[in-house]
Amino acid sequence: MIVLDSKVPPGPLETKWDHHRFSEKLVSPNNKRRIDIIVVGSGLAGASAASTLGQLGYQVECFCFQDSPRRAHSIAAQGGINAAKNYQDDGDSVARLFYDTIKGGDFRSREANVYRLAQVSTQIVDQCVALGVPFAREYGGQLANRSFGGVQVSRTFYCRGQTGQQLLLGAYSALSWQIDRGQVTMHPRTEMLDLIVIDGHARGIVVRDLVSGAIRSHVAQAVVLATGGYSNIYFLSTNASGSNVTATYRAWKQGAAFANPCFTQIHPTAIPPSEEYQAKLTLMSESLRNDGRLWVPKQPGDVRSPDQIPQRERDYFLERRYPRFGNLVPRDVASRAVKQICDDGRGVGPGGHGVYLDLSDAIAQQGLEVVRERYGNLFDMYERITGEDAYKMPMRIYPAPHYTMGGLWVDYNLMSTIPGLFVVGEANFADHGANRLGASSLMQGLADGYFILPYTIGHYLATTKNEPVPHDHAEVRAATARVTDRIERLLAGKGRRTAGSFHRALGHIMWNACGMTRHRAGLKHALQTIPPLRYEFWRDVAVPGSGGTFNQELEYAGRVADYLEFAELLCHDALHREESCGAHFREEHQTPDGEPLRDDDRFAHVAAWEYVPNDQPRVHKEPLVFEFVKPATRNYQ
Amino acid sequence: MIRFFGHILTSVGSKVLVALSGLALAGFVVFHMLGNLQLFEGPEALNTYAAFLRDMPILLWTARVGLLGIAGLHIGLAVRLAVLNRRARPVGYAVREYRRASLSSRTMAVTGSLLLLFILFHLLHLTAGWVDTSFPDRLDLRGHRDVFGKVVHAFQNPLFVAVYLAGQAVLGLHLSHALSSSLQTLGVEHPLLDRLFRGAGPLVAVLVVVGNAAIILAVAFGLVRA
Amino acid sequence: MKFILNIWRQKGPAEKGRFVTYEAQDVSPDMSFLEMLDVVNQQLTLKGEEPVAFEYDCREGICGSCSLVINGMPHGPERGITACQLYMRRFSDGATITIEPWRARAFPIIKDLVVDRGALDRVMQAGGYISVHTGGAVDGNVLLIGKDRAEIAMDAASCIGCGACVAACKNASAMLFVAAKVSHLASLPQGEPERSRRAKAMVAAMDREGFGTCGNQYECEAVCPKSISVRFIAMLNREFLKATVAEPGPQAERPSDPHAESH
Repeated sequence: MIVLDSKVPPGPLETKWDHHRFSEKLVSPNNKRRIDIIVVGSGLAGASAASTLGQLGYQVECFCFQDSPRRAHSIAAQGGINAAKNYQDDGDSVARLFYDTIKGGDFRSREANVYRLAQVSTQIVDQCVALGVPFAREYGGQLANRSFGGVQVSRTFYCRGQTGQQLLLGAYSALSWQIDRGQVTMHPRTEMLDLIVIDGHARGIVVRDLVSGAIRSHVAQAVVLATGGYSNIYFLSTNASGSNVTATYRAWKQGAAFANPCFTQIHPTAIPPSEEYQAKLTLMSESLRNDGRLWVPKQPGDVRSPDQIPQRERDYFLERRYPRFGNLVPRDVASRAVKQICDDGRGVGPGGHGVYLDLSDAIAQQGLEVVRERYGNLFDMYERITGEDAYKMPMRIYPAPHYTMGGLWVDYNLMSTIPGLFVVGEANFADHGANRLGASSLMQGLADGYFILPYTIGHYLATTKNEPVPHDHAEVRAATARVTDRIERLLAGKGRRTAGSFHRALGHIMWNACGMTRHRAGLKHALQTIPPLRYEFWRDVAVPGSGGTFNQELEYAGRVADYLEFAELLCHDALHREESCGAHFREEHQTPDGEPLRDDDRFAHVAAWEYVPNDQPRVHKEPLVFEFVKPATRNYQ
Repeated sequence: MIRFFGHILTSVGSKVLVALSGLALAGFVVFHMLGNLQLFEGPEALNTYAAFLRDMPILLWTARVGLLGIAGLHIGLAVRLAVLNRRARPVGYAVREYRRASLSSRTMAVTGSLLLLFILFHLLHLTAGWVDTSFPDRLDLRGHRDVFGKVVHAFQNPLFVAVYLAGQAVLGLHLSHALSSSLQTLGVEHPLLDRLFRGAGPLVAVLVVVGNAAIILAVAFGLVRA
Repeated sequence: MKFILNIWRQKGPAEKGRFVTYEAQDVSPDMSFLEMLDVVNQQLTLKGEEPVAFEYDCREGICGSCSLVINGMPHGPERGITACQLYMRRFSDGATITIEPWRARAFPIIKDLVVDRGALDRVMQAGGYISVHTGGAVDGNVLLIGKDRAEIAMDAASCIGCGACVAACKNASAMLFVAAKVSHLASLPQGEPERSRRAKAMVAAMDREGFGTCGNQYECEAVCPKSISVRFIAMLNREFLKATVAEPGPQAERPSDPHAESH
């Protein structure tokens, strides 16, 4: 039975974290040497956590499925990282970053967590600078900032369009140092396939060596999951091909609560899909919306080339619907508007999946050179992918699944409902509520890994007496058996359909039923169609080769299998949440003009789901209490 | 000191020494060419110049031994690097295309080896006089050794002309990559002057080849005669 | 579109590899190169044959996973991109395309087109970092860094660690990779205290891993998906020279004074 105790410390918001750090127990330096910690994932959260824990003196075992920790998908983040430095003296502060984040999340996150995030944000930037991250600078040598994601202050630090890469390389270099010192043992090309829970505590993981195919178990005093999000459940997303839900989903099946899985963010400005076998959607920086205008022809089915369509026959739908914010409305609002237009049959491009993002007005007003300097690389990228010249024709964009706010439930200490299992970064649910603001995922990943987890895990380790676990412990053997059984079952499929085709079918179901907008009938229908698809998967899936070798198709099939189960949980959550908030839009709950209707009386809670074997998942509610801010309605009209 | 040798044995350390020794050898090649151009001023000038060099045996032999040492270092380290490079790719590509690497840069080991053969031949031929004994060592009117006559005699033979011209081609190829490459290895780079550095190698190579070839061809075509 | 593919197949590191010819049919010009391979693999999978192993992850040119030598050119015929950013419209219909793995002793083949690039990680572990502890860092604006300098550091830091430089180099040298890292950190004041040690340690690690030596042929720059300049190689050479000549070491004998702190 799951008990949700958020362990938020008492006292004023501003001092909660300080007091908490003081009241936490410490582990003595001599004991740290004898404590093993497993960190799964080597993205921003995982690498920063592993390196900091190693530096503190723990023995860390770090795992990633990529060939090098430097390839984790954090590397693809473009925009930047927020920090309440107020270097621009434009009125920013910790309180303002806190408020923006909690409001951006549509009041579905924990106040104390978000405030702490805003507090440590300033340290993150300093730490990254010390690690040699080459942030953009002013001529005078100070750190440069830009405004990002529709906030009114400039608090975003960036490294060209490669901020995620540079922050990850910073964390990776810190990790490299600890590997060199022998504090961290890195296991690349190793995928976690199950969690070992002994006497109610997370004590280890079962992994598959992706090169040799060997199944191994690793035991430790605590396990940290930093395994990212699950946007790939939609098949087409901006995530890397390898991003998967397996680690967190397996932990869920071992007793960790999964919180708010239906909070998935759709990014409005991706390049639309163009052909059947497309494997991913490429994101274009949201900054294009600063100068670009979104439009479609007023007449459905208008096949004229865009430059042949006169102004009065164009519908600048964002400007029409949201005169105050226009093209700069938040991601969820813009994405939904685009989807509505396309659902009405007014979309442009292949399959009507797209709307124009037009910079011709900006080119006319500011000159081609200015626009080229600002967005040249994006125009080049667009041309490379689509073969169209965006200087002559407006670009086409379409929303793409991008980030998942939902994740394993964690308390204030980032510990899940399984003691000893900590979850950091995108893999947990904590800080973004129902919608994430731009440039705050990098902030959260590094906050968790560098500054929060290393403190809070110490308290657990100092106050828990964990006996050493022998490798032939019954639970270790059971977990290993679960993994090997599953692999054998995957290899036993009849070989009639590829895992990819099942993934695509699942993505189709999820995108339609549980994508940008959801409604009861659609979700119920999805819940009916997923189990048969899963049945077919296990019967027909084609996985050639054996489990004892490097076998990419086997890796992939295992991930798809977990998505096929997890999809139901996502739909259950979306069905349960009878309100529209943030990225979750239930068509039944909207105003007459199509704006979302939040229901604070019934749904100001975190929905944390418990796995019940052979039954529907059971929901537990953590009420969200707003002591310091008052939930307001987001209004961008 | 041991640590210092440790650095020399690293790839970058060895390359720096190859570059430095190479630059010294290239310097010699340039002066050699300039000196020999005195051929065009007639027998007197060239023979006097040769005698001037011979008149200082200590300097001459110091220079000879020094050059030999530098060449030895250059060749020894270059061979070591070439062996390392071969070992670094045991299985080659089935299809191979180059986008930027010049022919000269890709053939340094080959041109280097050919150049060594050519230099040995040249030393045996014009310095030691073992290759062609048809020209007797004789003194000119002032009592200097008749180097001029020897050179003219040599290049009246089309076989020698061919060998020496081929040698110049190899030398040119080697030098044109070598000089700019040495600057890069020694860490000389500048955002504005880089083009100059990159152009320096081919420019010097062309000058050396043109100068030397002029001597050979002038004799071969009878513009300079004894 | 239709293509004939000559693909290197090798079951494992110790096995002998060979080229196998496949036909890719019904390829859309809007497909990326990797999507075209996906389609070939799906067909192989359904036939019960093992699909061609090749590496990929982000498919947007930043993770550095993809590692294909396409028609003799790492990352294929287009400049400044990775193989995953290459589209089939770049090839003419009916063309024959040869696909090989990165070839270098330091990158042993794991399977087919997948190689082990762990050597690059080990070079990084030898010194490609600034050893600062988490926490207690000074404010980011305490050390001012001029825009020009920051831009140079960023140019070097944009390396994605794909290893195309090694694959392209006639000598299979990793100089551009090492140079990018050394130059990135040496350009910043934060990297200053360890710059000598870093340059020496990383060069030594590079040699240990069995990479070749730099011939200054600059093929690396020409295939680098991030177009990292070979000027950084000159910078690395300079860093290494300075480090060797300066040879930092204790200026005095270890103090025998009992008040001196000893560890």
